[in-house]
Amino acid sequence: MTYESDFKLDVLKELGNIGAGHATTALSTLLGNKKLTLVVPEAMIVGMQESMSLCGGPESLVGAIYIRVSGGLCGHMALLLPYESVQSLLGYLLGAAPQELRDMELSTLQEVGNIVVTSYLNALAEMTNTQLFPSVPAVAVDMAAAVWSSILAGAEVADYITIVQTGFQTDAEIIDGTIAFIPDEEDLAKLLGALGMGEL
Amino acid sequence: MEEVFVNIGEIKVLAQEGRLVAIGLGSCVGLILYDELAKIGGMAHVFLPTNRKGGANQHPGKFADTAVSAMVEQMAAMGAQKRRLKAKMAGGSQLFSYGASVMDVGRQNVEALQRELQAAGIPLVASDVLGSRGRKLIFDVGTGQVLVFVIGQEPVEL
Amino acid sequence: MHEYERGGVHSHDPMGNGAIAMAHTILVVDDTAFMRMMIKNVVQKHGYQVIGEAGDGEEAIAKYKELRPDLVTMDITMPKLDGISAIKAIMEFDPNAKIIVCSAMGQKAMVIEALKSGAKDFLVKPFEADRVIEALQKAVG
Repeated sequence: MTYESDFKLDVLKELGNIGAGHATTALSTLLGNKKLTLVVPEAMIVGMQESMSLCGGPESLVGAIYIRVSGGLCGHMALLLPYESVQSLLGYLLGAAPQELRDMELSTLQEVGNIVVTSYLNALAEMTNTQLFPSVPAVAVDMAAAVWSSILAGAEVADYITIVQTGFQTDAEIIDGTIAFIPDEEDLAKLLGALGMGEL
Repeated sequence: MEEVFVNIGEIKVLAQEGRLVAIGLGSCVGLILYDELAKIGGMAHVFLPTNRKGGANQHPGKFADTAVSAMVEQMAAMGAQKRRLKAKMAGGSQLFSYGASVMDVGRQNVEALQRELQAAGIPLVASDVLGSRGRKLIFDVGTGQVLVFVIGQEPVEL
Repeated sequence: MHEYERGGVHSHDPMGNGAIAMAHTILVVDDTAFMRMMIKNVVQKHGYQVIGEAGDGEEAIAKYKELRPDLVTMDITMPKLDGISAIKAIMEFDPNAKIIVCSAMGQKAMVIEALKSGAKDFLVKPFEADRVIEALQKAVG
């Protein structure tokens, strides 16, 4: 690993820290101020296959909310939740854990993803002094590997991917999940420049 | 029996026996080519129709427009005959179908592979593609049996 | 837990001035059914009457012209037409429209643009119920 990529990852990790901090605060508020523990964010450059393990077992059932990011730093964001967490989350927000996911349940997941990801972006935008625009969120509930690979395909990633990833969990109930950010490679250089570190 | 996992972008070929397995097919397509007489079978886990962004790419199996010819070449090297090859495929779905329908890479993959197969003169004898569910694909090279699995459903023979 | 349904007529007095006041009417605009339900629950509990809902900016404009509500809660990130464009169109149609933004998009430039476009207030999701009521009262007061 070169000095430059080490440095790039350090910057991304710090941005991830602040973004995810805001995102989990938003989620905590949404959950009636439940205490959420943030797992220290990681920024990494990984092979596509390696990245598959980010969201648990490849065949485990997950709920995913995907948002395309445009503006000062283009990229892709996803909130990935194991199915048990989807159930707890919906149980809390809608009053009862659903037997199956119908329109109201999917709409709730969509809004949770919107609030969590947009809060992350708000912090990132402020830090980097740019504007970041989230797309309308898209929702999928399926096998982890199928969901994640569809996100990577939508991002048209190359063999190696830069990912900023943060986990979170609640103390009492089973709500945990992962927030993943895949910045577009071309925009990363611009971002480092915007932070006044582009010359390194 | 040998079970070989075919990860994204990979092409794997087996002769006589063994199972080729692709898990987590969302927008990706699992493409199978089979020479029944020689009992040589291959599977590619195709990710995108073409390398549009031009990023680093060491895997011909990753793109529809390079996967077919690369797999045919590997199979021929093991004794398969191109004129005997038949194709099956599964995948190419749009998982993110609620809310914004942002990504339709699956359909593009399916259409690109159909074009490539036609250009190569290889008949597509069966497929289970599109829709909104993720799939798992298992191909038994010894028997030629192909099974498609979807969460919460009985497996379907292709 | 939340109540799913509430009746449309409200007996208590939202203005707090002792008179029998007509409930203020609200158009709730958000692309997710979940958030529309949340906002509806909050405002109805405080005596406001939700007379319509819209799931995107285009629908919001059409519903505003049709229903002429006293107040509008407006999301920003929506399909077809975003909330900022909808605010501009509604303000052009009715310069006295009272629109409160309820969006997760709390970046400074966006807040400024919304207010410049004519929004009376900007609430960043996730919001406390009290803040919504406070903003609505201020807008009609």
